[in-house]
Amino acid sequence: MASEDEEFTMLFQDFYPSLCRFLECLLGGRAPLAQDLAQESFLQLHRTAWGTLPVGEARFWLYRVARNMAINEFRKSHTRYRLFDRVVETMRPRARNPEQEYETQERKTLVLEMLQTLPEDQRTALLLREQEQLSYREIGQVLNVSESKVKVDIFRARASLRERWTRKSGYSAV
Amino acid sequence: MTCSFTEKISSLIDGELSTAEAREVERHLIGCNECQQIRADFLNLRSQIAGFETSLAPAVQNRALKKLLATPRRAPARGFAWSFGTQAAAFATLVIVAAIIGFLIYKSSNTPTTDKHLAVQTPTPVPAASVEQKQPEAEASPSPNKGNEETAPRRSPSPAPKKPLAREPKPGEQFAAIPSTPDPVRPADTQTMTALHFEKSETLLVAFRNVRLNEPGTTAEVAYERKRAQQLVLQNMMLRREADASGDVQLSSLLENLEPILIDISNLPDKPDKNAIRVIRERVERKNIVPLLRVNSTALARALD
Repeated sequence: MASEDEEFTMLFQDFYPSLCRFLECLLGGRAPLAQDLAQESFLQLHRTAWGTLPVGEARFWLYRVARNMAINEFRKSHTRYRLFDRVVETMRPRARNPEQEYETQERKTLVLEMLQTLPEDQRTALLLREQEQLSYREIGQVLNVSESKVKVDIFRARASLRERWTRKSGYSAV
Repeated sequence: MTCSFTEKISSLIDGELSTAEAREVERHLIGCNECQQIRADFLNLRSQIAGFETSLAPAVQNRALKKLLATPRRAPARGFAWSFGTQAAAFATLVIVAAIIGFLIYKSSNTPTTDKHLAVQTPTPVPAASVEQKQPEAEASPSPNKGNEETAPRRSPSPAPKKPLAREPKPGEQFAAIPSTPDPVRPADTQTMTALHFEKSETLLVAFRNVRLNEPGTTAEVAYERKRAQQLVLQNMMLRREADASGDVQLSSLLENLEPILIDISNLPDKPDKNAIRVIRERVERKNIVPLLRVNSTALARALD
């Protein structure tokens, strides 16, 4: 039991931050909600599937469950930012110096805005590729779609982002 | 993006091309300025997205882990190392009781069925009105029940003459039986199902539109789309009937337009002719189905919210 908990702790330490990041990008920056959903995904894994899933599968399982939760969340509230989230986000303590913080925040906002212009399936596929470095086959496994659809979705997402990014002057060489 | 290699550049930076293909694209890149720029842009995008920092504080992470480890784990089904608590015992008893009741119902509903069935079958040519007259009698006894097929005979095994009609309608009786026992319609459920159906169909049609015709792997890709189409055809028929019954002309006509396309895709052979695929694609484009599906699924989802 102790070793199972240790394994779970290791998995949690490895993937909880990246799952939070994935959800944050997917949800358009609602960090507290993203953290809640990531925790809920791990909770489901711990309660139900841990011990029955092969360790290599647990990661895909987590992303699949987290994505479904995010989709449910979209359906519930669309893209409306809940007041509570905004308050928490505003009150969050910021440790870095203000200039650095401002720059990071600007870049984050831009990335999030761009990502929000993509359809959900393209956004998820692109995030799993760029942030989690999953292969097309693995992404197909998570999203339950064919590899060719993943390939097309990722290409379309990139092409569309590139076009938008080009219009925004002064941010990159794109 | 005018160059035909642009899509391959996306796969190239993901390391998803075969060695030969990758070499070919690399060679092309040397002479194509547009593709060089696209690769640089895609890589730049990657660094922007991958460099996104989460707003997660370490303290929050530790708190979350502690909370998780403190929650009791539901024991997974591993061999027989299952501890029988009171809840498990109660559940098992419930299952056994339900099974026994189910068996008894099944038995009791089977024996009288043959007699009743014959009794109703004899006046087969009787018009709809006369069969409808019989229904109130049958409906009267299990009144609070919502016409559930399994539960109706449990309450009163003897006065159940309409059950055989509901189970296996004869050609003459079918017309009379359907309006007399209307299924409980749940608009919200139907709407959800329709919205999901539209979403799935849209995904399928988009995937079908993207099937590559110039590559040797074409058949394998179509096999996937064909399988999806086969799954969707039945649901489409069901939803179309419901839309017809509820008088929703718009939904019904969209489903009616979608149905032959799904059938055509599901009937594609193992090695489909390129022209056959093109013909279906053209039809999809001509009928403008993909945008219509998107608009309708969004509208339905909004209505549900």
